[in-house]
Order: sequence, then structure tokens, then C-alpha cells
Amino acid sequence: MASLSNSGWRDVCDKFKNAQTLSCEESLKDPVNDPYRSKYKARELIREIHYGQRDELFTDGLCGESPPGMLTAKLAAVEFYLGVNHAETEELSAGHEHLMNCVMLLERCRVSSENVSLSIHVRNELGIMWTRRDEAEKALQFLETAEFIYQRYMKEDGSPPMDKIEYFTTEEKLLTDQERTEKFEFIYTYTKYYLAQVYKIVGETERAATYCHNTLQRLLPLKQFNRMEWALNAATLSQYYISKGQFMEGRHCLSAASVILGLAEVPSEAAAQETSEQREKNRMQSAHISRCWIKYCLNLLEDAKKLLEDNTGELDTDRQDELKRERTLGEEEEVKSRKSALLFGSEDTFDSIASLEEKVPCLFPLDFSEARAVFLVGQNHVKEAKEYFQMEGHVTDHVEILQDHSALFRTLAFFEEDLEARCKMHKRRIDMMEPVCNELNAQYYLMIRRQLMFELAEIYNEMMDLKMIRANTQADTQSLDKHSIKKINHLCSSAVKYFHMFLDSLRSPDGKFPEKMEEDVLRPALVARFRMARLYSKLICSLPSAQLENLNKALDNYTCITQYCEEHPEAAAAVETELELSKEMVELLPFKINRLKVAMVANN
Amino acid sequence: CLWSYSNDSNSIKVFVRVRPLTQGTGLTTDGDNNLCLKVTSPNTIRLLSKPEPRTFTYDHVADMDTSQDAVFSSVAKNIVESCMNGYNGTIFAYGQTGSGKTFTMLGPSELDNFTHELRGVIPRSFEYLFFLINREADRSKSFLCKCSFIEIYNEQIYDLLDTASASLFVRENIKKGVFVEGAVEKFVNSAAEAYQVLSMGWRNRRVASTSMNRESSRSHAVFSMSLESKESVNEVVNIRTSQLNLVDLAGSERQKDTHTEGSRLKEASSINRSLMCLGQVIMALVDVSNGKNRHICYRDSKLTFLLRDSLGGNAKTYIIANVHPGSRCFGETLSTLHFAQRAKLIKNKAVINEDTHGNVK
Repeated sequence: MASLSNSGWRDVCDKFKNAQTLSCEESLKDPVNDPYRSKYKARELIREIHYGQRDELFTDGLCGESPPGMLTAKLAAVEFYLGVNHAETEELSAGHEHLMNCVMLLERCRVSSENVSLSIHVRNELGIMWTRRDEAEKALQFLETAEFIYQRYMKEDGSPPMDKIEYFTTEEKLLTDQERTEKFEFIYTYTKYYLAQVYKIVGETERAATYCHNTLQRLLPLKQFNRMEWALNAATLSQYYISKGQFMEGRHCLSAASVILGLAEVPSEAAAQETSEQREKNRMQSAHISRCWIKYCLNLLEDAKKLLEDNTGELDTDRQDELKRERTLGEEEEVKSRKSALLFGSEDTFDSIASLEEKVPCLFPLDFSEARAVFLVGQNHVKEAKEYFQMEGHVTDHVEILQDHSALFRTLAFFEEDLEARCKMHKRRIDMMEPVCNELNAQYYLMIRRQLMFELAEIYNEMMDLKMIRANTQADTQSLDKHSIKKINHLCSSAVKYFHMFLDSLRSPDGKFPEKMEEDVLRPALVARFRMARLYSKLICSLPSAQLENLNKALDNYTCITQYCEEHPEAAAAVETELELSKEMVELLPFKINRLKVAMVANN
Repeated sequence: CLWSYSNDSNSIKVFVRVRPLTQGTGLTTDGDNNLCLKVTSPNTIRLLSKPEPRTFTYDHVADMDTSQDAVFSSVAKNIVESCMNGYNGTIFAYGQTGSGKTFTMLGPSELDNFTHELRGVIPRSFEYLFFLINREADRSKSFLCKCSFIEIYNEQIYDLLDTASASLFVRENIKKGVFVEGAVEKFVNSAAEAYQVLSMGWRNRRVASTSMNRESSRSHAVFSMSLESKESVNEVVNIRTSQLNLVDLAGSERQKDTHTEGSRLKEASSINRSLMCLGQVIMALVDVSNGKNRHICYRDSKLTFLLRDSLGGNAKTYIIANVHPGSRCFGETLSTLHFAQRAKLIKNKAVINEDTHGNVK
């Protein structure tokens, strides 16, 4: 700078500006058959600057503000630009060489405000380059070093550092401190974002998630992002956390997503049509985020259920007491310490996110009232999501939301001790699903209908069991009143009906069952048979002949399972318990049937 | 027993067709007659890769000398028959630009002459469908056939039968399934009429690609025929509907824009774009966690949403993968063959949730 005459320096700056324009703007218009025309022109200009700079450099380049130190930094910058240019024009090895020259030149100086930004930048580029060569490990080294350099600089210096475009800029065009800080923070955000990707590539998912989180967190105060996208990404990240059982983190992401999406303003100067489109899109994203909340509530309830159930799927009260004791002993503390590690928010959103979080539990519910609190949050989001995803126009989405709603009821029922109330919850599920299942076009919605039919069958089956238990506690089955018998038989036949429908859906159009079932329907189909067999033997009949008929049907279904597994030994693993019991029943039932026959003959 | 015999796998079938090596396609340099592949049997193809040649296996591999009629017989004949019986059917054509997709599906470019012996799968399907309809139609059985023709470009849907319309939306209805709202449907009574509808749409597609900057090699074209049959048997009326979709996919070399290739980093050139990509990273992380109940906010592409029925379930689907044998096309050919192998695995599954608990009393 000092040794160059002013006009000479101005020339250099103009060259640099032209090179930037060519590389970033002109190159977009390059013809298909000459795609790098502008990039090559830009390269020539940078080369010219390069030669000029090299002649200037007559020392080893000391540090600090001294002109030679600055010269080294400039030389490094030129190498950087040449490196990126070669990489962009598919000349990776030449590009690599230039980028490494840049690294080497900067190594001679400690990380100072003249070159810290460039140091990080060049490593970002090397990270990109090595992943292009499928060498993620090498990319990681560079990116992790970039991260380290940033952290060290912020600890030791922290002043707004020079940006890479300032090396060849005339005095009056230098950046302000605020601009410098912003650019520097962005470059580091990119480092985080590249690290997120490379950790994903090398299979460190947990780390990758943390870095995605970091990237989102760092974007927030920068205010230069698309809010809708941000919210959607945060909501998606919540799904990662809940699938890992980290509900506190999941809740935090979702609260942030809801708050940020709520801030999304419609640009006032946009055309009226665009704003309505924008609003429509906002409604959709908001419904998507509601659906993520539903999954949050559902998983929280289901995981709690898994913790609390005994081997018959009922609430284990000893376990319940134990968990409650544990909770008072300090789980809260652990949550507090973890929480400080991951807060989203900028000054103006922090409080709204925190207050939204407080409205939703994130610890496992351990009794009915706690479970109900989670359930209600979920149910509320079901309502929200359905407003956008209406049946007319969004059949698949709408039904998925109904299925989740039903699953929320199912898990809540687990916490309910009163059998009658439990039955009512299951009845709610039936009322939701049954009309839909019967309305759906069987040809276009085969897959969804299969799920619904199976679920309906299971609900009826469950309700019948509950009624049976109640009946047995009231009196023994012999003296059951007519009304109860009718009720139980109705539930029983409804379950059979839906299992039958499910199995029929596997038939080909000409009515044949597949000889060998596809993997995804194998277990459900055999379980359906198994359940049907049991249901047939549970039907309460006043006439022995009817009972005989039902027992024979039960036997048929049990035989079906054993035969299928004999013909396809590989299927046995999918239905181990059911198969064992079926084998027993195939042995035992004929005796029972015979006894009944003998009794019938005797009675006649 | 209640399991009886039937052997009808509904998985997606793949037909690979190798086009002849001719000059003037822009994919061979003059005098470059080096081939990068060899058809080794009716269902295997060997790619002369280094260091080891690789062999790929498909449902059918057709060499350069295969006739249009032979392609139709192996790919479409059975699908058209199934449509008559109430199945949905879809035929996709996939491959790089210049590999013979349009030739396979339509035939030579002089479109108006559809009696040409080189006519493609689509005209032949029309003929065969109406031949079957005419054979089966009588006083007790009648047929109704409707066509629509749309183009998906840049995740927007355009109606090729109504060029004046703005982009359309995909919607769902509990009875009709998935449909494009507001798309023109034309009734047709013969193969010639169906062919007229197709030609009109095809012309509009070309016009759009010049006047509206919609490059056709980057767009998917979907021609759908819905077939409704009405049969009265002793006072009971049976109505069956089915749909036949014929899809010309965007040139495979353009797929790079949408697919993440290998493990290249998404570069954050603008922070908004990078947010999109960040979403993709997070999505991949969520996907790792199998078997957990979760919601993904990002939609399927319009094409997969529209053709969901074709991907598993109760539909018959054939993919015709077109490849060019020239050695210059090695890279594209390899990626097409890979795609075709992956396609075999696509299947919509219904995950059945059981209320598993221990009451196997």
C-alpha cells in the first residue's frame, strides 16, 4: 500500500472489483457451451494483481500492522481467490495448491485481526474441496481448525476483523466495524453449517444435529434468513430429538419454531395476490409445525407408557412409585443444567420462546393427570392441524392426523384406571375412524385403509377384553345379563369383521390370497388370523351348534397359521409367540370340539 | 385352507433398452464407435467399467435391434390388460436426453402419422386398449375413457391441454384419490382420438419450452387415461375405474439439480438457499431414526405425490430405462442403470401398528 503510488493502487482495486463482478455476476450469464468464460477472465485479473503483489514483497512478511505483514496477508488473499476460482472451474488440484499456499502464508502470522477471517474462510473452502473428493476426514480437519481459530480469536482479541474483500479496497470503501462483525459471524456460521454436513457424512449423527442446531441458533440474531424456512428446520430438528428421546431439546426447538413462524410478517409492499399466497403458505407451515407438536406429545406419552407397563401392558404401580421418588430426587436439576446448553433466541424472541415452553410438559408423565396434560396439548394441535389439512383436498394428511389423534387416546387410556372410562376413550377412536374407513375409495387408498381396518379391529378387540374383565368382576360369566352378552358379542363380531376386511384387502382382484405374503403384511396378516381364532372362541353362544361352528372357525384360523409357517419357515420368526400358542390350540381344540359334539348327541 | 395359490408380484418392473449407435445425436463424436456396454442375455447388461466390468440384472434388457412392437409386448401389453380389469398402471420412461426416450414412448418425430411401423409404446397402448374395449363392449357392458395431459416443471404443474391456465394444484378427494384440480379432461372414443389429444399436448409442450422458457428436458410430462367400465349383471350395476399413466421423465442428466449427488457439500452461497439445504441435512438425520413416530414437514415432490398409487400397493408399474451405448455416455449410463436398480426397491408400504400387549390368552 505504502510503496504503491495512489493511482497504481486504485488500478489494483479496480481490477479486483472487476474480477469480483465477473466471477459473481457475469458468470451467471455464460453460455452453456462456454460455461467458465467469465471465471477465466476473472482469473486473469487476479493473476495480474498477484504478480504486482509478489514484486512488492521483499521481506518475509512480519506481523501486525506493518506494511510487509499486510502484504503477506494480501498475497494470501490473492492465493485464496485463485484457489476458489480453480475449484469453481473444476481444476481441483491447482485450486488445492493455491489454497494451501494461502494457509502457509497465514501460518507465519499469529491469528490477527488482518487475517483471522481469511484463515477461517480458506479452511471452509478446503473443507468443501475435500468433501468433493470424498475425503470427509480431511475436510473435518480443516473445518475443525477453522472452528478453533474463531474461538481463540474471540477469546484473545475479539475486535471486528478485516474482511477478505478489504485487501484490495480503497480507503473510502473500507467496511464499518458492524459490517465487519456481521461478515465475520457469517463466515463462522458457514463453518458450523459445513461441519454439520460433514459430521452427517462420517456418520456422527449426534454431532451433526448439534451443529445444525448451532447453525440455526447463529442465524437467529443475524435477522437475514427466511423465517418460514427457519421455523420448519427447527421443527424438523425437534423430530430428530424426540426420536432420540430428548424431549426437552425437542420441546425447545418446537417452541422456537412456533414463535419464529408467528413473527413471519407478510411483506406489505408485495402484490395482493402474492400476500394471499404467502398467507396460505404460512398457514400450511403452521399446520406442519402443529403436526410436529402432535408427534412430540404422542412420543412423550408412549415412551412414558413403555417405562410404566408390566408384561401384560398394564400399569405397574410399583414402578410408578419408584419413578415418582426418583423424580423428586433430582431429575429437575439435571434438566436445568442441560437446558442452559441449548437455548435458542435473540433478545426479542427469548422470552416468548421460554413462556411457550413452560406451557408444555417435557418430563415423562407418571399418572393420569400428568398424562392428560400432555394429551390436551396434543389434542389442541390436532385441532389446529386439521384446520389446514382438511379432508377435502388433503385426504392422506387428514387421515394421518386422525390416526395420531386416535393414538393419543390409546396412550391416555393406559393411564386411566377406570375401565368404563377407558372404554369410552376407545369408543371415541372408533367414532373417528370408522366412517372414514368406510368412505375411503378402496382402490386409491388401499394402504391407508389397511391401517385403519387393522386398528379398528384391534380397538374392538380391546374393548371386548375390557368388557369381559368388568363382567367377570361383577359376576361369573354364567349369569351374565342379556344386555352384557349382546354387547360383548357385538364387539367381538365387529373385531372379527375388521380383521376379515383387512385379510380380504390382501386378495388379488380375482379373489385369491397371495401364496407368499409380502414382508410388510406378513406379521399383521398372521396376527389377524390369531386374533380372529381367539375371538371366535370367545363368542358367547346359547346354542351348542353355534358354539361348535365358532370353535371350528377358530381351529381353521389356528391351522392356517401353523400351515403357513410350515410352508414358509422364515415366517415363524415374525410370529413366535402366536405360532407357539397356535400349535397348542391345534392340538387341544379338536378334543374340545369332540367333547361338545358328544354332549350335543347326549342332549338330543 | 384359507391361503390359496396366486403368484402375482406387484413390484416395480424394469425394462432397459439400448439405443443404436447413430451419428447426429450429439452424444457421439464422429468416428467414435467405442461402446461402453454389452447386452449379455435377455435380462443382463454388462458395463465395461474399469477396473472390473460390472453386470446389472433387470426384468428385461433389450438390445439395439429390438423392435418397437417387441418393447410394447413386454412392457405395456400386460399393463393395458390389467387396466381393463381395474388395476392402475404406470409406465415411466427414464434416461438421458438423446437416449431414445421419446422414440420409445412416441416413435419418430413426425408425430401426425401414427400408423408408422416405428410408432412407440403410447400409440400402441391406445390401439390395444380400444381393441380390448371394442371386443368387450356390448349391451351389458360399457366403457368411458377420459384423458388429461400435464407437465411438471420446477415443481409447478401446467396443463398441456389448456395452455391458457396458470399453474395447477394437486389435491385429494376421499372418492377420487389424487387429482390435479382444474386439469382439462377430454373424452375419447377411439385410439385416433386419444392420439389427437396426445399430439396436441405434445405440441403445446414444445411451444411452452420455447416461449415460456420451460425446457422440456427438465420437465416431466404425464399423460393419464382414466377408464371407467359399467357392467349390469341381473339389475346390479358394477362400476370399475382404473387409470393408465404414461410418464416421460425429465432427462436423467438434469436430475443432478434435484438430487444430492454423492457427498458434496451444499455451499452456502446465499443464506436462504443454505437454509433449504440445512433442512435436507436435518431430514437425513431424522430419517436415521427408524420406527419412531415422527412428522417430516417437507412434501414429496409433485410427481411422486401424483403417482403415489403407482409406487406399490395395487398398481402395476414398469420403468423403461433408456441408455446410449457410446463410451462418451458412460457416466450417465452408469447412473441410469443405478437408478433403475434402486427403482426396484421403491414400494409404498403400509406400516401396521399393533397394540401389542401380552394378552395372548
